Amino acid sequence: MSNMIETKGLIFEYIGNDDDRVTAVKNLSLNVKKGEFVVIIGHNGSGKSTLAKLINAILLPSKGKVYVDNMDTFEEEKLWDIRQRAGMVFQNPDNQIVATIVEEDVAFGPENLGIDPPNIKKRVEESLKALGVYELRRKPPHLLSGGQKQRVAIAGVLAMKPQCIIFDEPTAMLDPSGRNEVMDAVEKLKEEGITIIHITHFMDEAVYADRVIVMEDGKIALEGKPKDVFSKVEKLKELGLDVPGVTLLSHSLNKEGINISKDILTVDEMVSELCQLL
Amino acid sequence: MLRDITLGQYYPIDSIIHRLDPRLKILASFAYIIALFIVKNIETYTLVIAFLASIIFLSKVPLKYILKGLKPILLIIVLTFGINIFMTQGELLYRVGPFKITREGIEMAIFMSFRLIFLIIGTSLLTLTTPPIELTDGIERCLNPFKRFGVPSHELAMMMTIALRFIPTLLEETDKIMKAQMARGADFESGNLVKRAKSLIPLLVPLFIGAFRRADDLAMAMEARCYRGGKNRTRMKQLKFSTRDYVATAVVSGFVAFIFIISYI
Repeated sequence: MSNMIETKGLIFEYIGNDDDRVTAVKNLSLNVKKGEFVVIIGHNGSGKSTLAKLINAILLPSKGKVYVDNMDTFEEEKLWDIRQRAGMVFQNPDNQIVATIVEEDVAFGPENLGIDPPNIKKRVEESLKALGVYELRRKPPHLLSGGQKQRVAIAGVLAMKPQCIIFDEPTAMLDPSGRNEVMDAVEKLKEEGITIIHITHFMDEAVYADRVIVMEDGKIALEGKPKDVFSKVEKLKELGLDVPGVTLLSHSLNKEGINISKDILTVDEMVSELCQLL
Repeated sequence: MLRDITLGQYYPIDSIIHRLDPRLKILASFAYIIALFIVKNIETYTLVIAFLASIIFLSKVPLKYILKGLKPILLIIVLTFGINIFMTQGELLYRVGPFKITREGIEMAIFMSFRLIFLIIGTSLLTLTTPPIELTDGIERCLNPFKRFGVPSHELAMMMTIALRFIPTLLEETDKIMKAQMARGADFESGNLVKRAKSLIPLLVPLFIGAFRRADDLAMAMEARCYRGGKNRTRMKQLKFSTRDYVATAVVSGFVAFIFIISYI
């Protein structure tokens, strides 16, 4: 399979107030395959949000290259193609909704792409239905809950028919029920074949990923399947990251000499493992 | 309490007037204003009243609600009345100290006050019967022909849309900051005007910083969704003139033409 996103020797420096440079991304090489569900974890300042903006060509690399569907983000004439192909959902649901009515906002992206009106209508309808917010289409966004707003924002990106969606901490400002709404939506998009890069600091959101990348100080610290990454409890703790509660429990039980698999990720798995022991 | 503020003064019901094309409503409002200034005598106002009354009737907006819109300009009406009644020269009727009241003065005062009242009622009917998005859409399209003269019609409309979108959000934020400051002992209600104005500083500073941060975020989100100004942009909702709109155009032009004829010929 070909790569949806590819970075080569990526370096990005922020120039601060007094000309002091902060390197947010350090020599990062990363490949994301088409249809893959990648979760990027890291605490604040690890460079994960910067990476997201580099992929969407909102920022351009200081050194190295980013390719989206084999298009270089440095090529200006490809800019809109890149942004159409790799959509982006941001953290704050309030600050990414443009229009005063839900369906108008979802239409914003396709309108910018210059699609003809009947087709926009069709896309808006499909996207709203896919995210389960079709009944809200005539509401003003400020009357929606956080989870609903974020799903409207996702619908707005989906209406541009992207091949890849980058989620930059979409659940950080939501309550638990809103988080579930958004994560269900993300998984549904993955099933439809859309490549997903999900940036988060909630460990439990990484459990269903195809691949987890742990970022630390602008570099990849750990990479692999969720089970492999989370079984490295000591290393994760060293990086200042939380391990999903169930995994931590299985790890502790194992240390106490109970014969239980070390890489349990969900409560269901834990239940079945424990029942086998009894 | 801040959340209760309604945006504009749109009165959300369904009527023939509500369903008219916003472009038509905007242009008709202009025509109506011009007609009002052509009118030269009080008698012609019966025509204006008849025209207004029939629109109000068709729009199904309660008269009481419309008249409420006159409240903020009551002072201006009274002032206009006062100035006209005392300042017009003519046949003397009464004399109160240095002030003279003339027959022409009374006529002029009534005439000018009515002009103001009809002006406000007529134009407020536009905002009462048109939702804000349709209004901005209508304005954008009415300004489009002036694009070649450098009028940024798309940008203006986009600015209005974003303002409308963020007014409730910012009001909510104001409410939140106010409560947070009050919880820490801030006092927004007592003291004289200067003191009260000063107490607003700890409210306005975080509000403005927040607004700039939002603007930054929004600009990035818009760019990420391929926004590049009005160029190559299409719209989901197309405005189309229906039979209803053509009839309304005929009625409005008929009205304005008639006023013009009886005033000048």
